[in-house]
Amino acid sequence: MRQRTLWSAVLVLGLALSAGCGSAGVSGSPPGGSGDKLVVWDWKSGDPSAAAYLEKARADFAKSHPGVEVEFVAQPFDQYYTLLGAAIQAGKGPDVILFNGGGQLRDRVDSLLPLDTYVAADRERLAGWDAFAHGGKTYASPVTLQGHPWYYNKSLYEQAGLDPDAPAGTWDEFVEDCGVIADRTGAKCFAVGNKEGIGIQFFLSATGSAVLAPDEYDRWIAGERDWTSPGVKRIFELWRQVEAAGLNNDGVNSTAMFNDAFAVFQSGKAAHVIGLMSDVGHWKDFAEFLEPDDVGVMAAPVVVPGVTPSLPYDGGIGYGVAKWTRDPEVAADLVRSLTSTEALRAFHADAGAIASDTTVDVSAGGPAVTAISSGLRTGKPALHVALPSKTVDLMGRLSQQLLSGSVTVDEAVAQLAASDEAS
Amino acid sequence: MPPGAAPTPVRPAPTPQPLGAVARRRGPRTELLAPFVLVAPAVLIIVGLRLWPLVLGINFSFTGDGDRNGMPVGLDNYVTLLGDPLFRTALRNVGLLVLLLPVAVAIPGLLATFIYLRTPGHRVYRAVYFFPAVLSPVIVGAIFNLLLAYDGPFNEVLAVVGLGPVDWLGDPDVAIFAVAGVHVWATFGMALVVFLAGFANLDPSLLDAARVDGASLPQSIRHVIVPGLTRTIQFVFVTTMIGLLTSMFGLLFVMTGGGPEASTYLPEYYIWVQQGQFNQPALASAASTALFLIMLLVGLAQIGVLRRAGREG
Repeated sequence: MRQRTLWSAVLVLGLALSAGCGSAGVSGSPPGGSGDKLVVWDWKSGDPSAAAYLEKARADFAKSHPGVEVEFVAQPFDQYYTLLGAAIQAGKGPDVILFNGGGQLRDRVDSLLPLDTYVAADRERLAGWDAFAHGGKTYASPVTLQGHPWYYNKSLYEQAGLDPDAPAGTWDEFVEDCGVIADRTGAKCFAVGNKEGIGIQFFLSATGSAVLAPDEYDRWIAGERDWTSPGVKRIFELWRQVEAAGLNNDGVNSTAMFNDAFAVFQSGKAAHVIGLMSDVGHWKDFAEFLEPDDVGVMAAPVVVPGVTPSLPYDGGIGYGVAKWTRDPEVAADLVRSLTSTEALRAFHADAGAIASDTTVDVSAGGPAVTAISSGLRTGKPALHVALPSKTVDLMGRLSQQLLSGSVTVDEAVAQLAASDEAS
Repeated sequence: MPPGAAPTPVRPAPTPQPLGAVARRRGPRTELLAPFVLVAPAVLIIVGLRLWPLVLGINFSFTGDGDRNGMPVGLDNYVTLLGDPLFRTALRNVGLLVLLLPVAVAIPGLLATFIYLRTPGHRVYRAVYFFPAVLSPVIVGAIFNLLLAYDGPFNEVLAVVGLGPVDWLGDPDVAIFAVAGVHVWATFGMALVVFLAGFANLDPSLLDAARVDGASLPQSIRHVIVPGLTRTIQFVFVTTMIGLLTSMFGLLFVMTGGGPEASTYLPEYYIWVQQGQFNQPALASAASTALFLIMLLVGLAQIGVLRRAGREG
């Protein structure tokens, strides 16, 4: 017994002495690849639809750096940022890293190299830089654009006797149309999944430009967010009302956006869905279930008279360079190859992504993608992408509470304001 | 030459003596060292792969995240934890699971009793009950995601009997019970096997005697089976508790993602979110340390109970 007490004392003493003296996170020699090898982490390279893209990118890179080997390491997306965090912490991260735009990248900029000097020549050709910028510096080059078009099912419109080519322009008309569709086809108005708290993100961004005045919108993106303004409250009020009015599919809080909510739309059980532009839940996915010509893209119906809705989009995914890479120039060249026109054209064609390269011709993708790409010129960054990831997480939980009625809009925006302020 | 005058030393030289002494000295030394050598691999593995990382992790929990990476911050992370409603929910759910523990133990206990009493079809039941234990939590979670969906079969059955649909995984008051229920369903087979093993040691003549005395089934359970299985029941309590607190991550991840309204957070899930989603490994370390302490307390309490029961036995 005495011995055990002694051991405990030694352990406690050891802990007390070593507590706070150092950190596993500090490390001095971290290169991911050796001098003639670059390691790229992503969650795409294992995907057959990315094969042609990577081949083109590799070929482009080999032209300027024939001796440098490039290794793509595909990580499971579910675990991606967990693994990346561990790798960064251990100082053994990759050289080039694929990121989602927005919070995931901004949370990790202290491990990344500013790329402004290396990618200056790509500025004009590529779109979506804002999602990869922080504090006036660019940390990754965009590969795809991600945004939230308002998709609708034209055949349900036809069945309901509505004009499929003239969807509602104002919110009131829209709700009226939804009533007609529900009566005549039995389909719900919205397919939405908020199990992960993602439904509110899409809703906020897709309705934002139909509610907020342009200057308030721009200030939001710039970081001057007034959560208690009438417009912002109106958006959250709408979120609540849509559910209360029975416009959503049942069980929103237990329906996963990926991909149960999209399945509801694809199977014709709901007439509208706020989807994505790239990767999944987008025009190409929908066209596989519905007829390509039945997938419509409409502007958000105007809620506050006088505003002009725009397409919310940002850089979707992009490649950044880790601080510890041995030769930043070589790594940056790889990033440039990964965003070269040839490579991105292949990515668009095979994976159905809206590529960041504005010179890629998308007309072969069908009417929906043409409508989306025509919206890119007037489009603006999405509201939720500008938020810190903690605030987005909180917004997900509050949005579930708004639907279940356990929090009011005023309480929700107050909490969000506090979280945004603190981050 | 007088026989006694022989100068030749007939006594054997005392050389063997020191040799013997050395042998005797070496003997105890090897004997002394042997146990250390034998336990060394186990000790090294425990110290190197368990205790040392534990110390590193605890140490790491006193450092900062982000801008303060690597800087000592004292108890800041722990203060943050206590102020975080998510972590408090996680702790509350731990308490809830502890309260649910008797139910989680009673179910396999009762079913094992029925099998032991040779209910018709008990052989089939034995196999069927154990079957979920071989499924991975991800598969179980995916299956129950479908079954418990708002428009899923469970609610359809409820509708047939005229009950309104329940949003099993979308209602914050229901979801944690749904997930815990699924966990119990998925894991009770193992406890059932332990109970059956316990029954094997139960003296059947006691039950026969009770039956002859006219005891009803509940009376037999109360006065014969439960006292006879005390040790088994305690063992199942400990293992079920550990299972509830440390093996629900897979189910949570697949079924609720901590939601709705963060109502199904458990410390494990919180740790994962802080580390993986918010890039706050030091805060996650602090939460891990807190979870470790909770498990330590629960474990020590249970060992104490077991030891006392053992003495009584």
